[in-house]
Amino acid sequence: MSEMRVLIVDDSSVMRKIVERSLRQAGLDPMVVLEAGSGTDGLEVLQGQSVHLILSDINMPSMDGLEFLRQIRGQNLAPGVPVVMITTESSEEHVKQAILSGAQGYIRKPFTAEQVKERVLPLLAAAEGR
Amino acid sequence: MFNGIRTGAGFRRGAQQEMERMMTQSLRENLNLVSDPQNLNQSVEEVFHMMLGASCYQVQETPFEEPETITAVVGFGGLLSGACVFRSSSSAALEIAGRLTGMEFSEIDDTVKDAIGEVCNMLAGAWKGSVPDLSANCGLSIPAVITGSNYHIHVQAPEFRLHHMYRFDQTTFAVTIICDGLQ
Repeated sequence: MSEMRVLIVDDSSVMRKIVERSLRQAGLDPMVVLEAGSGTDGLEVLQGQSVHLILSDINMPSMDGLEFLRQIRGQNLAPGVPVVMITTESSEEHVKQAILSGAQGYIRKPFTAEQVKERVLPLLAAAEGR
Repeated sequence: MFNGIRTGAGFRRGAQQEMERMMTQSLRENLNLVSDPQNLNQSVEEVFHMMLGASCYQVQETPFEEPETITAVVGFGGLLSGACVFRSSSSAALEIAGRLTGMEFSEIDDTVKDAIGEVCNMLAGAWKGSVPDLSANCGLSIPAVITGSNYHIHVQAPEFRLHHMYRFDQTTFAVTIICDGLQ
């Protein structure tokens, strides 16, 4: 697999590291990881750089993950790039909201590296095939 | 036309209020399900197993190994208001943060506080996710973390309170669910 550029958005730096470790365990290596601590910071990153995959938390201060997602899609900042929400919110309603806002995948915390692999790799394969 | 919009919006608000009333009633009727101690045990075991690759089990209430403790609080809002509180000794926090991140820590720094806040966040999410009516209708706050010694957390007359102590490796930690109201 060629070098992947991944944006991880989470207000917890620990959780960003855990997500990165899970992605590497899933086989995404070599990989360049861009980090953002809020939706606002995530938008700034996307205005200057391109990525192949975005993973975002939902509950964040300043701009939450769903608004971040709407802004990405509304501003057409990362066309065709899969977005996966990683969150403690697990209800059907939250999943529905995320999908309607433009997410392609949803991972509930707590998660295993295997679950990250199962959700993320098919999305990357589909995006590559387009 | 404006009347129609207002009427439509009023109807939706009315329907939403009625749905919330019914859910609150359902939560009150199922208070034994909401306050089931097993839900908390399962949530704690799930988080520790999946994120730390470690097992933990409930033990009798015992004093913490040392006076210095760390507490993380995640608030609940919406149909249920209250909080999930995680508390452990500093050495237990270092061990938990180390397992979670794969790093070694010798003091309670910002990364350890962040890790303990995230553990509490996942515990709160897993616990509310175990009750279907709560899952979609109860929000979580951003974690707050407190460190120090000889402090107490007081809550006035909660509707219910679950307080469990768990053993993890050679250390212990406590998780408390406080419900101070069903809205």
